[in-house]
Amino acid sequence: MDVQRYISSGILESYVFGMLPESEQSDVETAVLQYPDVKAAVDSLQLDKERFVQLYAVPPPSGIRERLVEIIRQENTEEGNDLLPEELRLPVARKTPVKKVTEVQTLVKHLPANRKSSDRIWKIATAAIVLLLLGSVFMNFFFFQKSTDYKSRYKSLIATKQKLEADKEQQALTSLKQASPIAADPDPLSNPDFKWTRIQGGGTYAGKSVSVGWNARTQAVYLQAQLMPQPPAGKQFQLWAIVNKKLVDAGVFNTGAEVSEQLQQMKAVAVAQGFAVTLERKGGSQEPSMDQVCMSAKVQ
Amino acid sequence: MEYAPTYTEDELVQGLKARDQKVFSYLYDQYSPALYGVIVKVLNDNSSAGDVLQEVFLKIWRHLDKYDPEKGRLFTWMLNIARNTAIDILRSKSHKLEQKIQNIIDDVHAVNGPLAVHPSTDYIGFSRILEKLTKEQRTLIDLAYYKGCTQEEISRVLEIPLGTVKTRMRNAISQLRNIINK
Repeated sequence: MDVQRYISSGILESYVFGMLPESEQSDVETAVLQYPDVKAAVDSLQLDKERFVQLYAVPPPSGIRERLVEIIRQENTEEGNDLLPEELRLPVARKTPVKKVTEVQTLVKHLPANRKSSDRIWKIATAAIVLLLLGSVFMNFFFFQKSTDYKSRYKSLIATKQKLEADKEQQALTSLKQASPIAADPDPLSNPDFKWTRIQGGGTYAGKSVSVGWNARTQAVYLQAQLMPQPPAGKQFQLWAIVNKKLVDAGVFNTGAEVSEQLQQMKAVAVAQGFAVTLERKGGSQEPSMDQVCMSAKVQ
Repeated sequence: MEYAPTYTEDELVQGLKARDQKVFSYLYDQYSPALYGVIVKVLNDNSSAGDVLQEVFLKIWRHLDKYDPEKGRLFTWMLNIARNTAIDILRSKSHKLEQKIQNIIDDVHAVNGPLAVHPSTDYIGFSRILEKLTKEQRTLIDLAYYKGCTQEEISRVLEIPLGTVKTRMRNAISQLRNIINK
């Protein structure tokens, strides 16, 4: 294609000033994409057109700006949406014939009589909008009431849940402490100072076991009742340190599936050659019931 | 028009996409006189032009995502919207071509357009510039741009061959360019 000849043919002027039929328009648009010179010529013609159009510039009547800003401010509400011309409305909006009628009105040359009826339509439209707004305010109030009701119920549920959780935590804490003066070790399992002894059961307790970790330096003792049944009613298992063949109280502990993963802190033990477990009355005994020894093991 | 631009075109587009109402107000202040001028000239009717201008700005606001900076400046795009909206309305008025033409010829003769009614220092050069175009050149631009006539229609109305329409259009625009850029 002879680009210079194309440019000087006048087709670009006709294109920019909008007098080409559609088929020729797309021809020009293709040429613009293909030839930078054509694009430059079209751009400069667009600028000419803009300057030319500026010659006809007229300040629009006041009030349109305010109306537009108001429409845009409310465009996300249904009322605002209804202010828009039909084709620009969001699809969810109801159709009101009001705007259409005004459009027809504005198309017709405005005679004074037309003006009046157009005013009337605007009044009706305004009234409709006010009604919608009132309805919306009422609904807001209604739903707000409802939502506060749900909110308070939700809050009381949360409070109950928090109380339950706090109780549970408290329980876990007391079972851990068991009147031990020794500070809780944050992670006795990975602390090398702890010596872990697994105590296996025999007889009725065959297959049952607990693990006891003892830190000879801090005297802290932890127990994990991995495989221990729930004690009979009114009874509780108690741990004893074996010191020179005598049993020294190391505190009671909880058993059962629920605590099988828990580390329970026991009473401090200064010296121990081994550990034993007996079944005692709930709360523990001062002296061990020697006929109730379930299991024992030496510290390796 | 003289003004201190506070937004570049790119900032304007970004601001509008971000639904910034301040940017919209700025856009309105900057461009509404030009767009309103186009609408008034197309419709030759001040009473409905305000409503059309409002519709045009709402279209700009709503359809900004369709604007493609690759295809031209923002102002060009806005002008197209204003012109096409106004011309659609003009056509829906079911004006016959002859009526369109009559309006144009009246327009060209009479100096009683909206400009004469609201003279303003900004537009004072206007009539002097148009005087330098021949009457035929003015009619040609007006028919094409402001009345949306195709070249066939223009050829029929002005009784010139179709091929000549483009050449004359080119002459008219280069004459216009010379005058404007002087």
